[in-house]
Amino acid sequence: MKLMRWVGVVVAALATTTLLSLGSLTQAAQPTVTLTTEPPLAEVIPFQDPVRLILQAINGGGQPLADARLSLQLLTPPKTPWLTSDFPWVEGTTLLELGAIAPQGQVELEQVMPIRGTYTLNVQVEPLITNAFAPFSQSLSVRVPENPVKYRNVAILLAVLLVLGFAGGWVIGGRTSLEAGEIAPQRVRMLLSGAIVVAIAALLIVNFSARSASAHSEGHHTPLAIPTSRQGQQVTAQISGQTQATVGQLATQTVTLNPNIDPRPELLLNIRTLDLESHEPVFTYTGIAPADGQFTWRQQFFDGAPHQVVVEVLPPDQSNADFESFQIAQAIDVTGLEPPLSVRLITLSYFTLCFVLGLLAGLGTHRWRLQGVPHA
Amino acid sequence: MMSSFAYTLKRTQQMTLSVPVQASLLTGLCMLTLWTLFFSTYPPAHNTLHQARHQTLGVACH
Repeated sequence: MKLMRWVGVVVAALATTTLLSLGSLTQAAQPTVTLTTEPPLAEVIPFQDPVRLILQAINGGGQPLADARLSLQLLTPPKTPWLTSDFPWVEGTTLLELGAIAPQGQVELEQVMPIRGTYTLNVQVEPLITNAFAPFSQSLSVRVPENPVKYRNVAILLAVLLVLGFAGGWVIGGRTSLEAGEIAPQRVRMLLSGAIVVAIAALLIVNFSARSASAHSEGHHTPLAIPTSRQGQQVTAQISGQTQATVGQLATQTVTLNPNIDPRPELLLNIRTLDLESHEPVFTYTGIAPADGQFTWRQQFFDGAPHQVVVEVLPPDQSNADFESFQIAQAIDVTGLEPPLSVRLITLSYFTLCFVLGLLAGLGTHRWRLQGVPHA
Repeated sequence: MMSSFAYTLKRTQQMTLSVPVQASLLTGLCMLTLWTLFFSTYPPAHNTLHQARHQTLGVACH
């Protein structure tokens, strides 16, 4: 009887182990998409250098999924009104939508991450050859830390406000009684005079340097002199789409290629979107043009500055196409939006609160010291 | 006997130089300066401090 019980326990344990193994095998057999970034996400700084995103679709055996089409949708982090980012209109929106052909299951692109937070990258993988594998989709998280310089700068600003508030409170909290023939206590007059002088000086500096800064930067917004279309002997190419964009909204761009040779070669596209204020790329993608010759993507221009989309058309390494690579480009006028008033008032209230705390501390400290001094 | 005008003037001076009014004036001046530097959409102010706005936590630029 005891032996039977032991046998039962062993059989149950074996069955459980087998089921668990089968379960994990089934799970491992699921195809998936892996994401690697350069630099690693912990080192990414928002609104600076582009981040290289490398997506690799792999089958259940861990091998690359060949002949796949990856549809990407990159969503920005949700809104954070109580501690806004640089671009509040970009929060909670779509940054990029793109469909890429991946012969080896791999897609690479570079994108400047405009703000901190957790981005969502939705990937849908489909076979280019019917029924080669079952389509699947996956959501990936891309967490971008805040620029560390921002913490340092806001700490300095808050410390300055605290000290200024304390100094103001100290002076105001001093002698307040009027002496005969005196209009205002001398310290208060000095404080107000000093504050007014500082304010005037700050505004003068701001206005004068602003004038020279805007005059200096105006000449740098000129787009590169590249045509929007080109008609070659082997390939005709044209870029079209929205030439007006608004921050927070997607803008559609399309490249149309018409090879004049037979069979149609698989042409390569190298797409770069340049911010014309800095002439630095904010988005880069290199891939194969679809068989119908039309490549369409949607991207958001998060910086309210003029941009230019530059597309280089290249012949594939081994094909009947034999032409020099060439470029087409389109200038995009981006309408910037001023931040919501509520967001600005919230941060202003934080800064003001810091100043007021310093002011109250200065007032209280001086009053407390005066109370401790015996009257003559 | 103090005239009505002189009395009013003295009361105004006393009120203006009182601690709450002085503190409010100073806070108002501080808020105005902060608004101009970090939150104003006035193009010259925005352009000049564009970089500083982008490098300060909690300050929205666009």
